[in-house]
Amino acid sequence: MKIIEKIKTNKSTDNLTEIQKICLHKLQSSPLPNPKSELWRLSNKSKLSNFLDYSVNENNSKFDIPYPKNSQSTVRLIIGENFQIKLIEKNYSIQQLSENELQKYIKEQISFFNQNENWSYLLNLSLSCKNNILGLKINGSKIPPIEIFSHASSNSLNAKTLVIFLEKNCNVELLQVNLGQENSSLSQSTFFCLKENSSVNHGVVSYGENRSNLLNSLNVIQQKNSSYNLGSLHFKFNYARFEISIKQSAGNAKTNIKGMQITKKDEQISTYTKIEFNGPNGFLDQINKSLADDKSHAIFEGSIIVPKIAQRTDASQLSRNLLLSNLAQIDTKPQLEIIADDVKCKHGATISQLNEEELFYMRTRGITLTEASKLQLSSFFEEITSFIPISKDKWDLLDKLLNEN
Amino acid sequence: MQSKMRESDPILEVQNLSASTDNLPILKGVSLTVYPGEIHAIMGRNGCGKSTLSKIIAGHPSYNITNGDIKFLGENINSLEPEERAQSGIFLGFQYPIEIPGVSNLEFLRVSTNARRKFLNKEELDTFDFEELVKEKLEIVKMNHAFLSRSVNQGFSGGEKKRNEILQMALLEPKVAILDETDSGLDIDALRIVASGIKKISNAQTGIILITHYQRLLDEIKPNYVHVMSDGQIIKTGESDLALELEEKGYEWTDNFIKET
Amino acid sequence: MVNENLVKDVVKEPYKYGFVTDIETEKIEKGLNEDIIKLISQKKEEPKFLLDFRLKAFKKWQKMKEPDWAALGYKKIDYQDIIYYSAPKQKEKISSLDEVDPKLLETFDKLGIPLTEQKKLTNVAVDAVFDSVSIATTFREELAKHGVIFCSISEAVKNHADLIEKYLGTVVPASDNYFAALNSAVFSDGSFVYIPKGVTCPMDLSSYFRINSGDSGQFERTLIIAEESSSVSYLEGCTAPMFDTNTLHAAVVELIALDDASIKYSTVQNWYAGDEKGIGGIFNFVTKRGKCLGKRSKISWSQVETGSAITWKYPSCLLLGEESVGEFYSVALTNNLQQADTGTKMIHIGPKTKSTIVSKGISAGNSKNSYRGLVKMGTKATGSRNYSQCDSMLIGDQASANTFPYIKSQQPNSEIEHEASTCRISEDQLFYLQSRGIEFEEAVSMMVSGFCRDVFNQLPMEFAAEADKLLALKLEGSVG
Repeated sequence: MKIIEKIKTNKSTDNLTEIQKICLHKLQSSPLPNPKSELWRLSNKSKLSNFLDYSVNENNSKFDIPYPKNSQSTVRLIIGENFQIKLIEKNYSIQQLSENELQKYIKEQISFFNQNENWSYLLNLSLSCKNNILGLKINGSKIPPIEIFSHASSNSLNAKTLVIFLEKNCNVELLQVNLGQENSSLSQSTFFCLKENSSVNHGVVSYGENRSNLLNSLNVIQQKNSSYNLGSLHFKFNYARFEISIKQSAGNAKTNIKGMQITKKDEQISTYTKIEFNGPNGFLDQINKSLADDKSHAIFEGSIIVPKIAQRTDASQLSRNLLLSNLAQIDTKPQLEIIADDVKCKHGATISQLNEEELFYMRTRGITLTEASKLQLSSFFEEITSFIPISKDKWDLLDKLLNEN
Repeated sequence: MQSKMRESDPILEVQNLSASTDNLPILKGVSLTVYPGEIHAIMGRNGCGKSTLSKIIAGHPSYNITNGDIKFLGENINSLEPEERAQSGIFLGFQYPIEIPGVSNLEFLRVSTNARRKFLNKEELDTFDFEELVKEKLEIVKMNHAFLSRSVNQGFSGGEKKRNEILQMALLEPKVAILDETDSGLDIDALRIVASGIKKISNAQTGIILITHYQRLLDEIKPNYVHVMSDGQIIKTGESDLALELEEKGYEWTDNFIKET
Repeated sequence: MVNENLVKDVVKEPYKYGFVTDIETEKIEKGLNEDIIKLISQKKEEPKFLLDFRLKAFKKWQKMKEPDWAALGYKKIDYQDIIYYSAPKQKEKISSLDEVDPKLLETFDKLGIPLTEQKKLTNVAVDAVFDSVSIATTFREELAKHGVIFCSISEAVKNHADLIEKYLGTVVPASDNYFAALNSAVFSDGSFVYIPKGVTCPMDLSSYFRINSGDSGQFERTLIIAEESSSVSYLEGCTAPMFDTNTLHAAVVELIALDDASIKYSTVQNWYAGDEKGIGGIFNFVTKRGKCLGKRSKISWSQVETGSAITWKYPSCLLLGEESVGEFYSVALTNNLQQADTGTKMIHIGPKTKSTIVSKGISAGNSKNSYRGLVKMGTKATGSRNYSQCDSMLIGDQASANTFPYIKSQQPNSEIEHEASTCRISEDQLFYLQSRGIEFEEAVSMMVSGFCRDVFNQLPMEFAAEADKLLALKLEGSVG
């Protein structure tokens, strides 16, 4: 594990930011995540070690963007190629965060989430250099859809950090696409802050190629009356983790999450979510879907935390899982921690195959088993993919899922 | 029995059929032959095997045929997949139509109609042509166009589900239709709509099997033959007046038949 | 808003079993070491295999760490400050109930468990355990006629050593967890049940556990074996006096069901819970597990947990036999500073196995009530099903309710379904009941009882009534 060696013997600290120094220091004392902690217990050790095998690459090679930019009014940014931002600043009320703002902001968020021990962040912030951090402050309401790409190139580990600051009353659609090339590792951390009355439709689409890896973490702070909608999709990774922390800092906000992971071959993809309500009248509707085939392993762990202050919270979480092979496995662990009494909270989880009665019904109408399965799968996927912004008209996710996989 | 002159070949022949699920025998030697233009009614108590018979004819994977044959247009179909049976013209109207969340009713109807049309060497219909066809068929069951944009059977009332079944029957134009308690859960008006739908769709070339508990559907659609099932067997066969007698005397009356046989 | 204070008043409850029996007891010195274990074993005149079993368990226990994953907050237990054996002084050998110290009989009388011939409960055979020893078992001859063995585990060690040696520790190995290891090392008494092939036990069997001493721990051990095509319903009740110290109760229960056998195990746990400030109360750390070894065997756990300062308990089923069935029905009510961490594990190993989980948690006061469960479908569990439903009811804004289900599947041809919800007593419902003339307190109690209905329906008749009364009592306040 080259990275670990490097971290342990880290020599020059000259060019490091304050946060990098702190994170590096912490990483030196815990160069690997604690395998006994709930968050890492099920994580495949050899896959994680494979993740860390590549050497850090701070330069960005060219890569193929999966679909053309078909609209002038879409803002497209690639983390690591920050020169484009100047043009955007000129045309829209989007500003790049200054070095100082970035540092201050990341520090605040991490401490707010009590995550100074979160290993994925430590790794990301230790490794992502100035060039690979993108920070945006978005203002106003007439913002065009934004696309932000992160990618890891072959035989290297790339670390990218994205910070989005949404000003009051601002609303925006933002699609993040994380791409992994063959034999690569991507560490992606994203920090979101939604000020009062702001709203975002956030899409996260991550897919890799042969033996690519991803550690994807997402932090969201929602102020009052903000609305955060997340549609996410992770597939085709040898190893991927998606860690989501969302805090409604004063309640009174809306969170909608629809996420999905698809594993094939011997892949392992996991999603960990933690949603906290720090005030009353919060709303959450979450669904996470997994599909595991071949010898793969899909994991979901979601916790909902409703302290005393969060009266009249309305939260629901559903974990729906399809297990399609004898050698695949699925772990799911939805969790509720509630102290307030005047709340409506529920969760549910199911693991099954495709529904046999539904299949039979379609077959008695002459639809073949393959087609019937496809129809069922596409309705399973549709609910999630239709929630991912922008992408729909550009590249048909559903087709990709049904036909490539 | 079945002594009337039958000139053409039978559509469906069930010959001494026994079947089980989870090693539990459900059918114990059922025989039934349906000729073009005939309407058969199968009656019997809950659990007598009526619904199982219909599912096995349609090819439900949970049941094993332990003995006997099912022939459709002279061919043995014991080992055909459910979709192959459906494509070749066997239709099962479900007692409890399955809800399929997320799959649009229109898409479902189009894919199945085209599967049947392909089998019949007819041209497959594109969305536009299909809409035209559906519009016409919706009339038969007096359904609103809005049903098409909803998920298959999801949130449909009992009556709407049954009408959706008849709509599918109208689109698939089967050779033989087995309607499993299509009358249950319907009010009088809905029952009339469904019954007149069935009559419109069927013709001299099709066969119909009505599975029912009650006389009231048979008042609307008069059967040529009535079969009484009990414990996985057909214990009596008669003409339409048998149903009336059954209605009057109740199923206890049929208990004597078992002793006779 | 529901009047918070009123609800709080309602859930205040006096503990009516808090008296202490003044009886001379024989206690050994405090502390735990190999000599103490040898002493316990010697006092009980045990065969060598059992002493070895204890010593092995003790060695394992010494190497283990007290679990902290349940995040229960309690001050560290000093295992050297506990008396591991305490027994009421009696004559050497008791041949009939008449020779039992009347004070003991009176104690059980007061608890509603009369043991004497004239008063004993009809249709329920009772094994009464007082501190570390079993003092009486009723209906023994009657049961013996059917070949049913129902006695204290100490007696079983003497008279049925072969069965003990064959089955003890086969469901809950000594190394299973910290408290099971401790129990295996020092268990004092408990009940033993053996139902022979083809026998339906003619009456319900029941054990009643009473902790009397304030400084001794209770470590009972129960073993139930149901041979092919047999069935039994077993009930367990527990109470303890009010002390301001914490008493440790670490029991192990093992159930074994062979082909077509069925065991129904019901518990009403009402150990002293401590006062409203959280002083005193029992630490109840229990390992209960059943093994459905045989085809079509069935093990059903039902529990009503209202007592103890801390409860840590997961009655579980290992479903090995084809088409075997596991069930778990639970009501856990916590109040004041009580903490309950309870749930079940359903491990589906054999094909076509089925399990059902219904858990109802009610948290009031400052209490903490968690459901923690595991449902696992192994690779061979084809055609298996699980359904779980976990509901929480919160009373007051200081109580907490947590749900931690853990679901794991390695078998595509199986189905798992889990549902959980949280609710409180709605104003509308209360108003509706009150507008029909029902008193506030009764309305609350009706709602809670309705919330628990699915579980109460699973309890044997005698218990269902008792459980309903117990909850009502907890909720009725000082008025009742």
